[in-house]
Amino acid sequence: MSKITDTLRQYRADGYFAEFDYHWTMAIDLDQCTGCGACVVACQAENNLPIVGEKRMRQGREMKWLRVERYWEGDYPDARLSFIPILCQQCDKAPCEIACPVFATYHNQDGLNAQVYNRCIGTRTCAVYCPYEVRFFNWFTYTWDEPLEQQLNPDVTVREKGVMEKCTFCVQRINRAKDLARDEGRRVADGEVQPACAQSCPTDAIVFGDRNDTDSAVSRKMRDPRAYEVLKELNTAPSVVYLKNAREPLHAADGGGHHDGANAQAAEPRAAAAEPRMVEAESAVT
Amino acid sequence: MPRRQEWELTLSISVFEAARPVFTGLIVAAMVVVGAFVGHWAHGAWLNDHTPVQPIEFSHEVHAGENEIPCQYCHAWADRSASAGVPSVETCVGCHKGLAEVRDRPEIEKLFGYWERGEGIPWVKVHDTPDFVHFRHKPHIRAGVECQTCHGPVEAMARVTRRVDINEDLRMPWCIDCHTEEQVANGRDCLTCHY
Repeated sequence: MSKITDTLRQYRADGYFAEFDYHWTMAIDLDQCTGCGACVVACQAENNLPIVGEKRMRQGREMKWLRVERYWEGDYPDARLSFIPILCQQCDKAPCEIACPVFATYHNQDGLNAQVYNRCIGTRTCAVYCPYEVRFFNWFTYTWDEPLEQQLNPDVTVREKGVMEKCTFCVQRINRAKDLARDEGRRVADGEVQPACAQSCPTDAIVFGDRNDTDSAVSRKMRDPRAYEVLKELNTAPSVVYLKNAREPLHAADGGGHHDGANAQAAEPRAAAAEPRMVEAESAVT
Repeated sequence: MPRRQEWELTLSISVFEAARPVFTGLIVAAMVVVGAFVGHWAHGAWLNDHTPVQPIEFSHEVHAGENEIPCQYCHAWADRSASAGVPSVETCVGCHKGLAEVRDRPEIEKLFGYWERGEGIPWVKVHDTPDFVHFRHKPHIRAGVECQTCHGPVEAMARVTRRVDINEDLRMPWCIDCHTEEQVANGRDCLTCHY
């Protein structure tokens, strides 16, 4: 118990974040996200994620370090769809790190929420504590059929049964970039590290970089007024920042009439014209 | 009715007592079977061959010791890659084409056999780390670590052997001790090796 409170105190202490050498952060612009799922596939390929199959998927044993969640607004045909890619938020005050009895998950000096596979004993407590539901347990030792094992990434461990796993911010790429930078005696430049999801994103919705560098692309994104953190009220201090989808709320402009949600700017002139109809709608309700 | 129950009880006890040697035998047999499995596993995991027989009886003693060929002449990727690399057959033949005085030795004949058939030599890996450890040669070589620090005196080995003391050598505390001593940047961070 005292160990947990010690850890908590350490996280809550002032200047804890200033110790980070790099503070890797991801910014996801939801306005640019089309929900294509390229990031999901890229993550699957880069990080040796198994395909669990339909049956185990139904049992809730899927392996997806990155998933694109869909949210529907309104009823058909006045429906609108929005996407949000959810991955490990690499929280600076991570609930999972307090949960682990063997310290298989901890926070390292680069602001990464590390998961050490060979130390994990598979209590699955971290997955229970995680409010984002981004930790996955290996219920089986998954194998790849004959030619497919050739596409496994040699830089990433193939996890075995009984081990918890999650998004690592593609730490193998970070390590590689740091290695190259050290040879040249410099710090890792902005944009030098790209996780598989950011690299594959066709609309460049995902930006990755060092938050400690105030000029980096991700720092600029963080200063955007649209920036917010998912489940911020839980005080987990996530390292993934989302940029809000700047769309007019559905049905706000013309009071529930036919409204093209994808064209928020185009809807503006119509708003004035729709005013009388809005009053009409209100009177109809009363 | 109670008499009948007693009769049943006595029978069952006597049957159990009569069968006791059989049970002992079964338990011993089970222990032998389990022990065999554990022994087989331990042999594979810890007591495997430290000096495997290679397809060609290549001697590091002759090449690196007597002739003083630098390690990185053949293992050329050690200072620029994670893996130190095994030389191609071409590298071997490149030198041995000009060495007519050893051409008719049986091991050299084997080498030229692989060369003429266009095959790779199926060397047996001696030093290997588990899948969850990502050892990289490059930073170690660039930091000036001698090859012999981890691999032992290879230049004196006729057939390469792995360091034997499994409790100390090439295990994680051994890595950590060196990283602590040399004050490696982030050297004690798990993500440096495990990811």
